[in-house]
Amino acid sequence: MRIKQYGQWKTANLKQRFFYWSAAILVGGGLLLSLLSFWNTRRLLMADAMTKSEVILREVEAIRSYVKEELRPKMYELHGRDKFIIEAMSTTYISTNIMSRSAESMPQYSYRRVSLNPHNPGNLADPFEDEMFNWFEEDPTRMFWQGIVKKNGASFFVSMVPDYFEVSCIRCHGKAEDAPKELIARYGLDGGFRFKAGDLAGINSVAIPVSDSLREAWQGSLVLFALTLGGSFFLLWLLTLLFQRLVVERLAVMLSLVNHREPGKKSMFNGGDEIDVLHDSFGALGSYVRSARKGASLQPNFIGPYVVESPIAAGAISWIYQGHVAKTKEKVSLKIGFDDVLQNPLYHACLKTELGLFEKLSHPCLPEVKERVGDDLILEEVRGRSLIHLLDKGPLGEQLLLYVFSQLCDLVASFHAAGVVHHDLRPHILMLDEQGKLNLIDMGLATVDQQQDPIMAAGLGPQGDLLYLAPEQIRGERGDPRSDIYALGVLLYFSATGQLPFSEERKTEQQWLRHKKLIKKGDISRGSLSESFEQIAYRALSYEAEKRYQWVEDMWKELGALQVNGVCGRTIENNRGHSDDGGT
Amino acid sequence: MRLMVFSDIHGNLEALQSVLADAAQRNVDRSICLGDLVGYGPNPNECVSLIRSLNKCRCLAGNHDAAIFWGMSPYGMTGAARKSIFWTMEQLTPENKNYLQGLPDRLDILNMTFVHANPYNPRGWNYVLDRKYALRSFAATACRNLFIGHSHRPMVITRKNILSIDLLEVSGSRNIAVKDTKRRIVNCGSVGQPRDADPRACYLVVDLKKEVFEYYRVEYDLEKTVKAIRSAGLPALLGRRLMNGT
Repeated sequence: MRIKQYGQWKTANLKQRFFYWSAAILVGGGLLLSLLSFWNTRRLLMADAMTKSEVILREVEAIRSYVKEELRPKMYELHGRDKFIIEAMSTTYISTNIMSRSAESMPQYSYRRVSLNPHNPGNLADPFEDEMFNWFEEDPTRMFWQGIVKKNGASFFVSMVPDYFEVSCIRCHGKAEDAPKELIARYGLDGGFRFKAGDLAGINSVAIPVSDSLREAWQGSLVLFALTLGGSFFLLWLLTLLFQRLVVERLAVMLSLVNHREPGKKSMFNGGDEIDVLHDSFGALGSYVRSARKGASLQPNFIGPYVVESPIAAGAISWIYQGHVAKTKEKVSLKIGFDDVLQNPLYHACLKTELGLFEKLSHPCLPEVKERVGDDLILEEVRGRSLIHLLDKGPLGEQLLLYVFSQLCDLVASFHAAGVVHHDLRPHILMLDEQGKLNLIDMGLATVDQQQDPIMAAGLGPQGDLLYLAPEQIRGERGDPRSDIYALGVLLYFSATGQLPFSEERKTEQQWLRHKKLIKKGDISRGSLSESFEQIAYRALSYEAEKRYQWVEDMWKELGALQVNGVCGRTIENNRGHSDDGGT
Repeated sequence: MRLMVFSDIHGNLEALQSVLADAAQRNVDRSICLGDLVGYGPNPNECVSLIRSLNKCRCLAGNHDAAIFWGMSPYGMTGAARKSIFWTMEQLTPENKNYLQGLPDRLDILNMTFVHANPYNPRGWNYVLDRKYALRSFAATACRNLFIGHSHRPMVITRKNILSIDLLEVSGSRNIAVKDTKRRIVNCGSVGQPRDADPRACYLVVDLKKEVFEYYRVEYDLEKTVKAIRSAGLPALLGRRLMNGT
């Protein structure tokens, strides 16, 4: 499996990446927020200006309409058709004058009535208005225009409405010779003539200054951006701190295991951040699981001077093989981790812990270590068959059971006294020879209280066979000595009855938890277990760790009391009577 | 479950052997040594080797153990202690030195904490002999019972409430029943150099089922140890302190 790398970021570690990405997101988010704020303020400003200008334009239109329809006809009626009083009959003159007076009290509003060819030169369109004339003329259906216009360095919100000549307007704006003499006397013959009805007469426009409002909106956005930026960096600091505590430091512990390599050896990982390395590690784990299923086909032929023969049993991360010394033919057992285990840093760390424990701990129920060859352990010959094999043929007699458990409890108590928790006690890794001597052949998931626990550091879920695991282990916790006591309870029940206290069918973790919680006294044995054994097994199988035996020694004392009371049963020889094949 | 707790052997092999022989008759399931295997006494190698050979025995580091590999400076110790540390450094085998170096500072087992001096700063080596340090120790562990050594004085400190304690100096062999749920600091005394005016070796057995602290005082061949101190060239003061139990 190859590590994915991400361009220029391939050399950055997880914390740096988290920081860069978080900073980019927070700063980008702050920027976006500020822009959105500015856009919204501007939108509200425009909506307000639009409403105001519409009111003004409607007011102008009403004035012009009043002049056309009321005032001018009345003046004609009073003074005759030949008389034209500009101050009382010109719509443009009257509307611009009224709006000019309004502007005195409302200087922020500016009304203009402009034309390309006006009577009054003061109403001549400026270049921008000239462009707007063209715009309205291009499409006579265009009846309105609004927008921001910059004039003399200031911004204005401008609304424009086109005004078209009617028939009544043509007397003053048609042929110059037909125009009233009062009009010619005031404005001359230069402009305002030669139009016909339907021509674009002019543009009524209202300009509202918005520079200050826009500047305030922009300043508000800048303040918001500054506040967001400051807040973002504070948040980023907190997040980074949290990330450091919750993720990076724990990953560092795990990676100290993952990245551990022998002096002189190159790391199997060639880059990427911590997650990339773990990704790679879990990929190797998948390969390991696949290869584990293949089992014996992976066995090597030779390890140093030792010949590897057939496998005896499987542990959590290694196999025990039979073997012998090539020269002397002396029989040995070999503990060999899977190839993929050795490549997986997490499980490699577990294997190293296991090998270290075999070397360090000394107990009659642990095979003596003869030699360590790299990551392989050469053990004294492990004789007999696994407990699971024997239990397939039926329960152990109580005498043998007590003998086995006296050894097993002493072994587990020795572990616990040394600060070791096994975590994976099951009958598959307990070997019994013809004399009933017990040998434990696997400690692959064991932990030592003074060493880092790679499984815990990696945050992996339940490890081991859920059937034998204590509820707290199934919940994903790592377990403590009382978890081993739970497994001893399962083993005790299994050994005494030949049956498991739970059915072996596949269940989800939640189903297992519910199942293990529902165990009641009397239910588990279904009459196949003596009351004394059931009492002990029931207590060891308590769902809550606090209700179990807190010490293996206490469990053994109650079991041992049964022996003192004269309970007897079959020996392993009796057991072998059930079948024609026994221990080796 | 009967748990033996002992501490401060200080290279006194005679005392250690006597204590172990006595404990062997008391149905002890496991034992925990709270440190200071060496220092003062004339048989550091023998004591460390004997502890290492014990089945189901866990050992913690004490200040004298730490001084052996310069985990703390011997120059901060009294003159006699410093001389004995330098002497012990020369005597110890590499295996025993490595063993001492690998000892942990603290153990938490179920509702019990074990530490040589105190739990709030195990390498600070402060004595827990009064209310201030007792309350600070209670705050440093969530466990109900805290087992310590270091002061060489057997005592049981019971936490009455958040501000006050009861301090009981234990003299002689004595059983103390603890049926209530109060939190306690239990000093198991010293095997190899008692300082409560009783020169007999002291150790503790905790019966977790009966909820009893059983203090035992064991006589041993003091003369032999004092002679060995003299033969080793260690300060004679150390022998006199053993004789007086101070």
